[in-house]
Amino acid sequence: MDQALPVASTATTRRMRKTLLGTVPVSSPLYQLHPVTRFITLVFLGVVSLFIDVPEINILLIVMVFIYLHWAKVDMSNLKIYLPLTITVAIFMFTVSIGFPSRLPGYHTFQFLGITFYFESLYWTFASYWRLMAMLIGTIQYFSTNRERETLVAIRTLKAPFVITYFFSLALRSAGMFLEDMRTIREAERARGLDETSLALRDRAKLYVMYMIPLFTLAIRRTDEISNALYARGYTPSGKLENGVHRSDYILTKYPIRRIDIIVISAMIITFITVIILRVQFGIFAVAQSPLRIFLLSLWS
Amino acid sequence: MAAQATSVWTLEEGEVRKPGIVHIVALALFTGIGIVVGTFGSLAIPIGFVSAFWPGQAIQAVGSVWYGMWGGIAAFVFPLISNAMSGSAPLPVSLAYIPGNFVQGIAAGWVFRQFKLDPSLKTAKDWLGFTLVGILAANAFGAAWGTTVLRIFGLITPDAHLVAWVGWFLGNSVASWVLGVLLLKFISPLVVKTKAFCKGYWA
Repeated sequence: MDQALPVASTATTRRMRKTLLGTVPVSSPLYQLHPVTRFITLVFLGVVSLFIDVPEINILLIVMVFIYLHWAKVDMSNLKIYLPLTITVAIFMFTVSIGFPSRLPGYHTFQFLGITFYFESLYWTFASYWRLMAMLIGTIQYFSTNRERETLVAIRTLKAPFVITYFFSLALRSAGMFLEDMRTIREAERARGLDETSLALRDRAKLYVMYMIPLFTLAIRRTDEISNALYARGYTPSGKLENGVHRSDYILTKYPIRRIDIIVISAMIITFITVIILRVQFGIFAVAQSPLRIFLLSLWS
Repeated sequence: MAAQATSVWTLEEGEVRKPGIVHIVALALFTGIGIVVGTFGSLAIPIGFVSAFWPGQAIQAVGSVWYGMWGGIAAFVFPLISNAMSGSAPLPVSLAYIPGNFVQGIAAGWVFRQFKLDPSLKTAKDWLGFTLVGILAANAFGAAWGTTVLRIFGLITPDAHLVAWVGWFLGNSVASWVLGVLLLKFISPLVVKTKAFCKGYWA
């Protein structure tokens, strides 16, 4: 009993919330923000780099996202699954850029290991890589910090029609159920003595394909069960009751929008519009303005 | 055999089919499955935005065969989420992929309905229709659209367009054909008996 108390207390302080891609402590300051504010970070961080070619700014944005994730106490170890992707994307992009460069007249060239490199083409690839990474990390941060329920609250707050919100919530839930079923099937196979580690890559691929048959069968059966349950409860695609009145939305009452949300959302919208105007009207944030590029070109002359 | 194949798509006497909540549920569940398969596919061979192995196209194709336009909608919705979760394409690129993904999905649904092919792939005509239109033509268009999007976004150089297209087309076609054939062959007999199966495009 004496030992049980501290254990229980530790468990309380370490309570974690499972998000779409990882886990975040319930005590994370991030949860002070309304789900719609967090949803707008997805749109803002996932799109703003589209208008910014300067790699230094995109690298800064990535650093800011990591600071934000650190502040939000996100378990960064979950993000390791993206490490191979960041490396292979770089290898792919630079291989393509070196093998099939853009060769416009006036481009600066240099020779290395018998290969001709086109500086402008190479630097464009460098800038595109960081722009891509900034947008990807901006997207991943959202899925690392939010649950299905919060996504649902966000789109309901934005007044999306019932059918859309219902569809998205069921789709995200169904992805979870599909994974759960897959885990059950794999465990059943292991219980019967299947050792996946001893299988050749081709056999593992075959096994993966064969999982699909029972998984789809389960999902199809579930379609009938869920639609029957919804019908029995009187749900319609419009979300209205028989008398034409909208169903009350209980979940939204649990998430009030506060002043901090309005400030953060306004800041993101103003920044976004400013970036677009600066880029489209004045050509700011173009790759030619990159300080590193200007410095490297100055070495040529 | 021919009469049996036709009967899958032909309305029974007095049969009325309307879109309903069952189709929305089927769309949602199919999108969920697509999210998982698409994410796994992208993470299995992480080349990033160039899709060198993506079994998700099989889900797109069989979805439109079974659920018509609902499958076509799922075909462009689930990649938006699976691309984001796998980190293979950012939101603007995924949005630009929408027409390509829609065609990749609906092509198979169109050929099966147009030529009254059996979803359980019983005759050579069924196999040919699925392979030529549902897989090869659909992926040829999808890869062309996808690589054009990458070029517009500056992610590949113009000179690399053809190479990227070939890689995308071959990688997607092989994975999708294998998975698609298995799904159609083994699951279609079950699906055609359900309420959600669409004889037309919407119901």
